[in-house]
Amino acid sequence: MATIAAPLDVTTATERAALPLTRVARDIGLVAGRNLRKTIRNTGLIVFSTLQPLMQLVLFVEVFGAVIGTKAGVPYKDFVVPAVLVQTMTFSSMGSGVGIANDLQTGMIDRFRSLPIARSAFLVGRTMSDSLRLGIQALLLVAMSFVLGFSFHNGFAAAVAMVVVIVLFGLALATFSAWVGLTVGDPETVQAAVFVPLLPLVFTSSAFAPISSLPGWMQPIARVSPITAAIDFARGLALGDRTLQRVSDIHLSTAAWHFGLWWAAIVVVFTTLAVRRYRKG
Amino acid sequence: MNGVVAEGLVKRFGNFTALKGVDFEVPEASLVGLLGPNGAGKTTTIRILTTLLQPDGGHATVAGFDVVREPQLVRSVIGLTGQFAAIDEDLTGRENLILVGRLGRMRKARARERAAQLLESFGLVEAADRPLRTYSGGMRRRADVAASLMVAPAVLFLDEPTTGLDPRSRLGLWEVISELKQQGTTIVLTTQYLEEADQLCDTISVIDVGQIIAEGTADELKSMVGGDMLELTVADRTAVDKAVATLTQTFGLSPSDVTVDRELGTVAAPVTTGADALVAAVRALDAEDVPIADMGLRRPSLDDVFLSLTGHMAEESRIERAEPGGRRRRVRMG
Repeated sequence: MATIAAPLDVTTATERAALPLTRVARDIGLVAGRNLRKTIRNTGLIVFSTLQPLMQLVLFVEVFGAVIGTKAGVPYKDFVVPAVLVQTMTFSSMGSGVGIANDLQTGMIDRFRSLPIARSAFLVGRTMSDSLRLGIQALLLVAMSFVLGFSFHNGFAAAVAMVVVIVLFGLALATFSAWVGLTVGDPETVQAAVFVPLLPLVFTSSAFAPISSLPGWMQPIARVSPITAAIDFARGLALGDRTLQRVSDIHLSTAAWHFGLWWAAIVVVFTTLAVRRYRKG
Repeated sequence: MNGVVAEGLVKRFGNFTALKGVDFEVPEASLVGLLGPNGAGKTTTIRILTTLLQPDGGHATVAGFDVVREPQLVRSVIGLTGQFAAIDEDLTGRENLILVGRLGRMRKARARERAAQLLESFGLVEAADRPLRTYSGGMRRRADVAASLMVAPAVLFLDEPTTGLDPRSRLGLWEVISELKQQGTTIVLTTQYLEEADQLCDTISVIDVGQIIAEGTADELKSMVGGDMLELTVADRTAVDKAVATLTQTFGLSPSDVTVDRELGTVAAPVTTGADALVAAVRALDAEDVPIADMGLRRPSLDDVFLSLTGHMAEESRIERAEPGGRRRRVRMG
C-alpha cells in the first residue's frame, strides 16, 4: 500500500485546471466512449430498441400499405417510411433522459462534477453518444426499408440529407429528454414523462395520413406541430419537392424553415434548461 | 496549504436551513471527523466543500482554493467518496478506475498502471475485469474509494464511507484510511458511528442540526463529560434497585444520573473521584449485601459525549430533520 497516496504539486494542479479546447474534446470523448460502452454492454436493450421500430416498419408498410395502396400517386410505403423513421428517432430520444437519470441516481453525475473536467463534457458527451446511437438506428431502418421495397425518389444526396435531418431531430428531442432526466432523476418516471407528451404529438401530425384527412379540430394543431415539420422535411428530401406538395400541400423550402425554426427553438430552450439544471446539481 | 478551512457555511433548501453557520478546520495531513446523526448537515457540508453545492453564506477553501471562486482548482486536488458508491454498474472495476483517472487528466498508460496498483492494494485483482454489477457491497465501496484515489488527491472527502458495510469490510476500509493518513493525505470523514470517529480521527467536530456543537480530540471530548463511569453488574438481577439506591446515596446522585439495564443487571453511574470512588462503592455495596459479579471504572465513550451534548444518542435517526440524503431528494434539492 506504499503508493496509494502521492505528494501533489500545486503547479500541476493549476495546469490540470486549465481547459484548452483539446482537453474539452478529450473529456467529451471519454464521456461519450463510456456511454457507448454502456449501451453496447446492455445487449437486451439494443436488441429490443432496434427490433421494436423494425416491427413497426413492417407493420406500417405491409399491413397499412396493403390497405391504403397509394397516396396521391405515391406508394404508401414510400409515404410512410420517413414518418416511421422520425417516429423512431422521437422515441429513441428517451434514451438520453433515462441514461442521465440513471447517472444521477447512481451518483455518477456527482463523480463527474467533482472531477476537474470541462463542465460541458457530460452533456456534450451524452449528445455525441446519442447521435451515434440514433445514426446507427436510422441507417439500420433505412436498410430494412429497402428490403421492404421502399425507395428514395430524390437522389443520393437528398437521401443522405434526410438521414442527417432525422438524426438532428432526434438529438433536439434528446435535449428535452435530458432536461426531463435531470429534473425528474428517476429512470422509470423519465420514460413516462417523455412518452406522454410525445405520443399524441406523433399521431397529431402528417405522419400516417395527409393533414387534410385528419379531423377538423386536429388540423391546425397538426399543421404547426414540430413532428409535422420534421416529417414533411424528411419526406420532401426522400420523395422530392413536387411529391411533397402533392401529399402534404407544402413546399420543401417551407418545410425546411419550419423544421429549422422548431429545431433551433427546441435545442436552445432545452439545452439552456438542462445546462442550468446540471450546474445547480 | 493542503488543509481545509470552512467559515460560517450556510445552506438553505427552501425554508429548511440545513447549515446554520458551520465552521471547521482541517490541518494539512490530518484526519478530521465530522460526527453527527442523520440530518445533522454532514453531507451538505461535504457537498459544498467538494463544489457540488453552492453555499448560501460563508466561505471555504480546500488546499488553499476557494470552493466558490475556484471550483476547477478544488476539483483538481480532491477525491470524493459519497454515501452511495458512484461507480458505473456496467463497466468493470478496472474500466471504472481508468475512466476516473483519465478524466482526472492522466495519460492512458499511467491510468492503467495506477488502476492495476490500486486494484491490487484494495484486494480487487480477481474481480477487476468483472462488471461492477457483480460486486458485493464491500467490494463496491472499496472500488469507489480506489476511484477517488486515482489522481492521488491532496484532500480526500469520505462521506460515511462505511455506512451499510459488514464489520469485516468496515475494518478493511479503516485500515486503508489509516494508511492514507499516514502517507500524508488530508482526510475529511463523516460518520454517524462514534466508534469509527474514535478509531480514526485526529480531531472530531460534532455536528448537530446544522451547527458544530463541539470540537476536539476524542479524549478532549470525553473529558467534557467530566470524570469516569463506574459500571457494575449485579450477580442477582433482583438486586439492581438496591444497587442503584446504594450508589445514589454514596455519591450524592439523583436516580436519573444512573443508567440501568435490568435485562443485563448492569448499573452505570458518573463519578469524579476515580479509584477512590471504586473503593467507596465496594464498601457501601458490601455493607448493603448487594451481590456483585463485576465492577470497574470506564472512561466515558463518545456515545456518552454525544448524549450529554445533544440530549440524544448519535445513531438515532431523526426522520423529521432528515437532510437531503435520499437519492431523489438529494437530486432535487441539490
